[in-house]
Order: sequence, then C-alpha cells, then structure tokens
Amino acid sequence: MFRSNNVTARLFERQISTPAPGTSVHCARRFYENIVPSHTIYDIKCPDLLFRKFTDDGQYLITFSRNHQDLIVYRPTWLSFSCEVEDCYAHDLPNKANKFESYFTQLYSVTLASSGELICKDFFLYIEGKQFGIFATSTAQIRDASAVGAIQGVPSIEKITFHLLSLEDGVILDERVFRNDYVNLAHSMGVFLYDDLLAIVSLRYQRIHILQIRDSGNLVDVRAIGKFCREDDELFLNYSAQVSTNHVENGLQHTEHIRESSFLSGLKQRLLSFIFRGIWNEEDDPNLRMQCLKKKFYFHFQDYVDLIIWKVQFLDRHHLLIKFGSVDGGVARNADNHPAFFAVYNMESAEIIAFYQNSAEELYSLFELFCDHFHSSSKSSSLYTNFISTHSNNIHALEQLRGNKNKASSFPQFVKKVLVNLPFNCQSQSPSPYFDQSLFRYDEKLISATDRHRQSADHPIKFISRRQQNILKFKIKPGPEAGSSDCRTKKFCSFLFHPILPLAISIQQTLFLQPAVVNIHFRR
Amino acid sequence: MMSNSMMTMASGGGGGSGGRGSVGGGRSWPSTTSVSASGKRIQKEMSELSIDPPPDCSAGPKGDNLYHWVATIFGPPGTPYEGGIFFLDITFPSDYPFKPPKVVFKTRIYHCNVDSDGNVSLDILKDGWSPALTISKVLLALRSIFTNPAPYKPLVPGIAHLYLADRVKHDELAAEWTLRFAR
Repeated sequence: MFRSNNVTARLFERQISTPAPGTSVHCARRFYENIVPSHTIYDIKCPDLLFRKFTDDGQYLITFSRNHQDLIVYRPTWLSFSCEVEDCYAHDLPNKANKFESYFTQLYSVTLASSGELICKDFFLYIEGKQFGIFATSTAQIRDASAVGAIQGVPSIEKITFHLLSLEDGVILDERVFRNDYVNLAHSMGVFLYDDLLAIVSLRYQRIHILQIRDSGNLVDVRAIGKFCREDDELFLNYSAQVSTNHVENGLQHTEHIRESSFLSGLKQRLLSFIFRGIWNEEDDPNLRMQCLKKKFYFHFQDYVDLIIWKVQFLDRHHLLIKFGSVDGGVARNADNHPAFFAVYNMESAEIIAFYQNSAEELYSLFELFCDHFHSSSKSSSLYTNFISTHSNNIHALEQLRGNKNKASSFPQFVKKVLVNLPFNCQSQSPSPYFDQSLFRYDEKLISATDRHRQSADHPIKFISRRQQNILKFKIKPGPEAGSSDCRTKKFCSFLFHPILPLAISIQQTLFLQPAVVNIHFRR
Repeated sequence: MMSNSMMTMASGGGGGSGGRGSVGGGRSWPSTTSVSASGKRIQKEMSELSIDPPPDCSAGPKGDNLYHWVATIFGPPGTPYEGGIFFLDITFPSDYPFKPPKVVFKTRIYHCNVDSDGNVSLDILKDGWSPALTISKVLLALRSIFTNPAPYKPLVPGIAHLYLADRVKHDELAAEWTLRFAR
C-alpha cells in the first residue's frame, strides 16, 4: 500500500482512515519519523551539572550538583521566542537559544548528602504514578572490613542512605539507612522497583530487603529474604524456644537460638532441597539415583553452599529472579567469566520455582521468546515503556539476535553472553521513540536506549529510517561543532532523550576534569 | 568453581599422608598410594551404600574429599518432619572406623536430640560406637530418631519435656519448623 511520508499527507490520512484494531498507538508513533530532533545547539551555556535522566513520563529532568551534594530538578519546557519579521524560519535562533535555562526551568534544589556522604550519581528510580523519586547517598567504601555474619571479600560502606522524595515539591518523605553494608548502586544494579515494591540486595549480608513504598510516602519493611524466608521466621524461632524453656525449671540453656549458627540460610535450604529433589526424581532406580546424586549433588554441594546472591529483579509481585555466583564475581565489574546460576523464587510461598545454570539453553529459549516478561517493571509504569524495543516485540531486534546466534562460534558461549543481561537493571532504558527499532535504525555500539556512558567518536551518529531504507532522518553529534582538536584523549558520551518530545541532551566528557560539552538536540 | 576441591582434599585428608604432603613443598603425592586404611574403608562403605541405600536416605562425599560427606534424609511420612529435607554434615576421623564419624544437622530441626547448633546425640555415635558399624547403619539410626525421639536422653530438655507433657503441641511445633526451615 502506498504511504506518503509527507507529514501533511499523513495527517490527512489519519483523518480519513482508521488504523487496524490495536495499532492506533503504533500508527501515531510513525509521526516521529517526521518530527525529529535534527537541530543541534552546540556547547550550550549550562550550569556545571551531573545529568542523570528524564523521568519516564517526561515531567522532570534529574540532575545533581558537581560536588555530589544537591539534587537539582528541572521541568523540560520548550524554547519559545517571538519574531518581528515575517519569515522567521529563515532567521537564526535568538541568542537565548544558547542558554540551558531556555529549555529547562529549575523547580528546586535540595541538599541530599550530609556528613561525609555523596550522592551516587548513577542511581535514580522513579515511581511514576506518585511522582516519587528514590535517590542514594553513601560514604566511601572500605576494602578489607570483616564483621560477624558478613561475607568475606565483599567491601563495606559505612553508610548508605536511600532517600524517598516527592518530585513535585522536592520534599524528603522518608529515608532508609544501611550501615556497614554493601549495595551495588552503580546503574541501580542492586535495587529493583516493581509497582510499589522495592528490592534492595545487601551483598555483604546476603539479604534481599523487600520494602514497600506507601502512598503516604513511607518506606515500610515487608521482609528480608536470605537468612530466613518468611518475615516472622525469626520471631517464630524465639517463640518456640520460649515454649520449650517454659517446660523446664531454670532452663536457661536454650535461649540463645538466634546467634550465628552453622545452619544453612533459609534461602540456601530452599535452593539445595530444590536441586536435590530434581535429581532424586530424575531417576527411579535406587542405585543409579545414588550415582547421580553423588556426581551431580554431593560433589558440588559445597560450591552450591558458597554461592552468593549477586543480583535480583522482580518478575511480578510475587516472583523474584535471583542470580547467584561466586564471591569474586559479585563485586567484579566484569563478571562474564564467572559461573552463575539463576533461580526463580516465589517470596509469598517461600519456594524455589526454577533453577538454571547460566549456560542453560532452556532459559535462553524462554528469554528469546518471552523477553518482555523479564522486562516488565510493573503494570502501572508509563505507556511509553511498553514500546522499548526488545527481541520479543520487535522483528528487527529479533532478527539481530538470531543473526548473532547464527554467527556465534559456540552456542553455549552465546547463551552465556546473552544471559549476562539478566536480571535486568531497573529503569535502565529510555522509552524515547527515537530508539524504537521499528522506526529508526542506528549503530547500537554508539548509541542505544540503554543508559550507559559510551566512548565517543567524532563523527555524528546517524538515525536512518527503518521503512525507507537509506534515508537519513537525523544526526546526533556530541561534543563541539568543529570536532575536537585533540584526538588522543578518550572522550565519553552520554545521551538523555526525552521520552515524548523531540528533545535530547548529549554530554561529552574527557577523562580529565575538564568541563563537559553539552549539546541540545531538538526540532527547530 | 571446582578449583577449591583439591585444597579441601589436602586439608581434610587426615588419613596418613595428607598432612605430610604439604611439607614437601612442590611435590604432590600420588593419590593411589596415599589412600590409607580409613580411606579404603570409607570407599568400601561408599560402594555398599550405592548398592543398597537405606530408604529415604542418601549420602556422598563433598567434592573429592572422602572424609567429608553430606547426607540427606527425607522427613519420614507420618511424623511431624514429613515433607522436610534434612541435610547433615558427616565428618570421618582419620582413625575411622575405630572412632565414630561426627554428624551435624545443617538444616534446622525441632527435636529433643538435636541441639541449637545442630549437634546430634545418638548413642552409636558416642559410647555405643563399634567399628563394625557402617555409614548405612548410621543413616538408619539417624532416620530412626525422626520416628522415635529419645526424650529420656535429651540434648534439649525443653523439647523433651514438651514431647512428654504435651505431644500434640510438640508435634505442631515440629511440623511448623519443618514447614519453615526444612522445605
């Protein structure tokens, strides 16, 4: 069917024809092919800020002060100006177009960090319906700190504070402090938000803290999974110790139940019994079963016991996807070469539902077919996030994945490489339509929906129309207009795309503490 | 992941040559010649156990350390421990079978013969030990304490009293423990 790419023709077509059922949003999004952030204001006059991101509803731009002390929140506005002459499009933009303040209005600035703490600039989670934000501040980490009950080899941070803020007015609603603990804050790795539930992984004490964010703006402890599974397990243990001692006169010997014991933690017991049951049921013949258990279970028993929780994500309100691995891999930045395991845990029934090694083809095929089920950050999250391209909702992404699969020299290696992405980081992808792979094609090495710093090249990044092959729709060029004179210094880029508007910010930095070059990309 | 297996072998292998091997520095002792009498005995018991395992029990060495085993016992049906899976550590002494193996529960259990550290009081693991006993016999004896606790020789008097005074309450608590800590 013939389709014009002219925006007027498209508007007319929208008036006279109804899109196929269920596709109206997809059709409306095609207008983004016509409305693109193709105009760049280079090296804008800008306060010295650390840019975090646009919230997924586009209401706020989250930034931090350069000294990691203050949160500064802006409202994205659109550059507006009046023009006296008739054909104003032919004219240059007014001077104020070079100022950051012409695009963003500062709402407020709040000091979050206090007494030796600094804001973790990679950490921010947004609770959309309530317009709450979660921020983290922490003190410096100590390498060799040992403590009772702590895992050896995991560093310690004296104080980590999570702050819950109302982003409307910048009021701090609640905070939660972790002391002498370690939570992986980089890219929000150690924290996952689902609806109103927050999972925080304490690497050091091997607990998954489940907190609830109440409408009132309070953080409430729901349970801690690790040493125990149910929220009242510890209480129950104390209670039954009491019942028993009541039956003995001067029976004091049995009251010290809760000290550090050699028992398996609650979660480990569940995990080991799940693995054991699986192998036991595989084989009916007692002799063969014994052989199997010896090889597959007892031989590896200590390795299973030594596994630590690395990372967690919610699959729904009750199920967690937990990644286990060795201590070395949990802290290392590049954990690809460490063996790892995935478990699906139902925290209501306190049961392990599934357990896979990171080379499991079964898990890979589930991931290939149902990627969106791993991605669901919640039902109530913004509509735009439904359109983040994955290989389960986008044919082009799927083709790319299949292409990589066919190219891979070893399938088990490929499976490991793909499954490294699990569990997903929370809210790490931009819902901007310009990253929608059914609309645009771009080099994912240079730019993608995933929020990451990238090494910057000097040439502009091209966004090419997906449906009209080889038609360049727009370019994004970070850094100064003329390119940089010094080719030797490594430059890093980050991109902030507004989720709805044709508006993006690119920030180019060198390793040395020179001021960043901030460009604004928008539709003129 | 399995890199530490050899290390545990050296430290746990009390059977004669294991301890001395490390003194020699770079030289490693061939394992075939270092298997002591206790090691041979354990290996023999291991093959017997494989041929005729006791019901609802299993056991095997951790990694390649013959002297350190793990056993698994299903909570027997009809007891408050039903539905639970109990893991136990079994450590063989270097002079096995002349000394009994040491057994510790790794899974929490509400039982008058198991203390709050997981230690078991079982006659055949102490004074009642005889070199004629085997790991299969030990597993059977362990399984029997699930069905028949010994409240008159308790390790935890409180639980024993409750067992004798209010059996229903005891069984309720034990079942709740199983549900919470042994599933």
